[in-house]
Amino acid sequence: MSLLSYLIFIPILAALLAILIPARLPNSFRVLSLTISIIQVIILILIVNQYTFGSGFQLIEKIPWITLELGTWGILKAEYFVALDGLSSPMVALSVGIMLVATISSWTIDKNQKGYFILLLILNGAIIGSFCALDFLLFYVFFEFMLLPMYFLIGIWGGPKREYASIKFFLYTLLGSILILLVFVGLYLSVKTPDSNEQVVHTFNVLHMQDSDNLIPGSLLSLNSDFYLGPYSFRLWAFLLLFIGFIIKLPAVPFHTWLPDAHVEAPTPISVILAALLLKFGGYGLLRFAYPIFPDGAIHFSWLVGFIGLVSIIYGALNAMASRDLKRLIAYSSVSHMGFVLLGIASSTVEGITGAVYQMFSHGIISAMLFLIAGVLYDRTHDRLIENYSGLATKMKAYTAFVLIAFFASMGLPGFAGFMGEVMIFFGAFQSQSVNGLVPAWMAITATLGLLLGAAYYLWTIQRMFYGTYSVRSSLMDLTDLDRREFIMLLPLALAALIFGILPQLLLNYINPFATDFTSTWFSFEKLLTP
Amino acid sequence: MDLKDQLTTISESIGHLLPEIMLIASLIITLILGLILKKNKQALLHGVALATYVVSIFLVIKTWPQQPTSLFGGMLRLDDFSSFFKILFLSGGFLTVVISKQEKEDTSSEYILLISAIVLGSCLLSMSMNFVMVLLSLELISLSSYVLAGFGFDKKSSEGSLKYFLFGTAATACMIYGISLIYGLAGTLDFSSDQFLNTLIETKSPLLLVGSLLTLAGFLFKITAVPFHLWAPDVYESAPTPVVAFLSVVPKLAGIVILVKVVLAIQLFGQSGFPWQSIVAVISMLSILVGNLSALAQTNPKRMLAYSSVAQSGFLLIGLAVLGIEGIHFLMFYSVAFLIMNFLVFSVLNQYESSLVADSVSSFTGLGRLSFFPAFSMLIGMIALTGLPPTAGFTAKLLIFSSLWSTYQETQSGILLALFVIGLINTVVSLFFYLKIPYFLFMKEPVVDTRPIKNSYSSNLLHGILVILLIYLFLQPGVLMGWINRITFVL
Repeated sequence: MSLLSYLIFIPILAALLAILIPARLPNSFRVLSLTISIIQVIILILIVNQYTFGSGFQLIEKIPWITLELGTWGILKAEYFVALDGLSSPMVALSVGIMLVATISSWTIDKNQKGYFILLLILNGAIIGSFCALDFLLFYVFFEFMLLPMYFLIGIWGGPKREYASIKFFLYTLLGSILILLVFVGLYLSVKTPDSNEQVVHTFNVLHMQDSDNLIPGSLLSLNSDFYLGPYSFRLWAFLLLFIGFIIKLPAVPFHTWLPDAHVEAPTPISVILAALLLKFGGYGLLRFAYPIFPDGAIHFSWLVGFIGLVSIIYGALNAMASRDLKRLIAYSSVSHMGFVLLGIASSTVEGITGAVYQMFSHGIISAMLFLIAGVLYDRTHDRLIENYSGLATKMKAYTAFVLIAFFASMGLPGFAGFMGEVMIFFGAFQSQSVNGLVPAWMAITATLGLLLGAAYYLWTIQRMFYGTYSVRSSLMDLTDLDRREFIMLLPLALAALIFGILPQLLLNYINPFATDFTSTWFSFEKLLTP
Repeated sequence: MDLKDQLTTISESIGHLLPEIMLIASLIITLILGLILKKNKQALLHGVALATYVVSIFLVIKTWPQQPTSLFGGMLRLDDFSSFFKILFLSGGFLTVVISKQEKEDTSSEYILLISAIVLGSCLLSMSMNFVMVLLSLELISLSSYVLAGFGFDKKSSEGSLKYFLFGTAATACMIYGISLIYGLAGTLDFSSDQFLNTLIETKSPLLLVGSLLTLAGFLFKITAVPFHLWAPDVYESAPTPVVAFLSVVPKLAGIVILVKVVLAIQLFGQSGFPWQSIVAVISMLSILVGNLSALAQTNPKRMLAYSSVAQSGFLLIGLAVLGIEGIHFLMFYSVAFLIMNFLVFSVLNQYESSLVADSVSSFTGLGRLSFFPAFSMLIGMIALTGLPPTAGFTAKLLIFSSLWSTYQETQSGILLALFVIGLINTVVSLFFYLKIPYFLFMKEPVVDTRPIKNSYSSNLLHGILVILLIYLFLQPGVLMGWINRITFVL
């Protein structure tokens, strides 16, 4: 077993162990969960130690999983295949960190702790597993295992309208995963391993899927496939399905409507995980599956990808500005920030891709912080309406400091992690027209509006909630400042937001080799443009 | 053949029918015990039935692998294909008796008797090679099913049973007429014989098409395929749940087996002038469409499952529409997954029914929070029926669709492509009704007077085993598939 497998399976085994612990020992569950998170941090440090900067996959573990003889149809082959590269390693690191914070934040959960922490542990393993899996079937299993716990966590431990929110979340993401499943069945029908002799070995290996030499001639998704449905070939449709499947997760306009509801109703730690980790599967899926497997589709629809990104940036920001509910505002700001990721991916330049991954990482840290901040207020007053607060800065000094850090970081102020991601995405987007012509310059120019709007809604919120004379509508008593536990949760995130803003090289060392690989080998235009 | 030779063949053949003889013996014992035992001392009956099934399964497995052997002068043939399904039928019978025992104490001897009779009929049907034998075994199944469907002993149950009976006899009449037409054209009732093949290849008469379609009607009725599915919702709604579980699996799989054999026979190794592949594909497509779309509108869980069962028949038929050995192998895999998931769902439903009146999905409101494990089993069962990972239901659908796709690539038949697309889309559609019950179980708040259902460790154990089997077959399908791959299918 490699370190990665430990990282994935320790929480899942702990969940199985937790089933055996009687429910009348509520404390044991959160202690178990915290212990597991700390163990994972230690494993992560070991992994970082082993990881050497450079292109390609590392810490590879590959074990045959399913091998089925299917007569003339060939052989079905799936593997337990996990590894890290410059895309997944920042995501895995983010997951481990956020899960630790979320576990600490879950300390206040008192309804059915056994169920809650078991689901949290399963979610933990499934998230890391999905980021590491390089076999589509394996990825899909982890992906589904993520969906169900999330559904229950929102639906059972959520706010007053949790039923509606959870079923909406479930239906949207399920629709997304079904679209992904359809493509994946198509790929399974069309891809063979390079070493297939007379018997075709149908594989789920993502790396094999990425190489167009492995496509079976004349199959459903072969390069020059004659299967057309309406104006597009099946390959282009497959890209579109994957694209829609993943931007539902991202989420991008017009598939974003589940996000505000889910966030508003979810308990704070679950909001944190949802925003910081689950949304990342949108970008991750595009970069890992949709783009490398269907580069022709990516080129064909690059305009659409960029445009949806642009619309998400602007529309998300406008909605955030109009939101009266603090959590809803943060949720819409996520839509806006994820739009930048889409724009960076659409540009497909080294800068754009690096920026997109960087933005995903920094948004993971910052959005986690933002939702914790909203949770702090909600815990005290059970009220999230911005207009019901003013002058908080006078009573909650430490809290205000953290809010300022989080808001400025999210705005993309230089010196914070958010800045690095956005600025590189803009480099990529502006460059794209002259380098590869995928994203027109006007999109990049219009997208800068998003930065302005971002500054506007955050500054306005600060002005409304924190300045002026102190008043809180729903509480007659003065609100208390952060307690120790809240401080412990927020401090590392604030530090991370600063460190990754000042020393971006820490992360770029990982991401950059991936981005250069992505643009040069997987995304080589020559191979596709020559018939 | 003189009398002496005939007697020798019969006495030799009987040795191969040990599992069936076991079943007949247990039928007689059950009948006698039912007369002797007092009404409240029926545990022995269950014991006898369960022991019979276990021993019979063992007897079937013992003959594995079996060279195809013709018995009783071509009436029956014993091969691995039929043995495989015989194991499924016997397991189905076993599970039904176990489920019936879980919640009800006072099942009568007739009940056990009828179940065993259907299992016996199914075993014989899977071995039949002659239309007369097909008819006899099918009628043994049918007549017992009509009675069994009325075992609720109320007005609704009688109504369901009567509807079933009327539809069933009409279907049988059609079938007999069809068989008589085929007999007239072929001059033989043995559909595996050379004479059958050679005569019919010469025949261009449309009467053959009419006769074959009429014959198929009888089988399609058994497997609840469209347009012979109309009886299913009423029967499923009114019959006792263990009976429904049983009827939705064992007779259906028996029907599939004989359908496979007869379709391959009348398709004359691809030399038939009639488009059998398209006909099967259309029936499969219609079953999937009608089943799923009708299920969407249902609120009664058993009616919903009845339509789901229609759709599942459609998916099973895809394996036949492929008309090749791979398709049949995948159909066998699908049958195993179907047996497990269907019994899982109905058994959980049965557990719920012991504590509440489950006549609408809203009866399940909030129960998932109060008693977690049954609700969880239900969820897994429904996910498997939909065909999502991580369950064997997914693997089964994936295999069936991949064989359909490869056949499409060979034949370039538009109907197969349509079937492929419709099948995939319907998998998505089916989510909306399959997840209805889990939705009510988990997402709705319990109403004030909702009480947790009666906790039954034996039910939980059974469901746990079935759930583990479903997940195991997803993680390691090779175990079962390796076994299936060694089965050669000869007509």
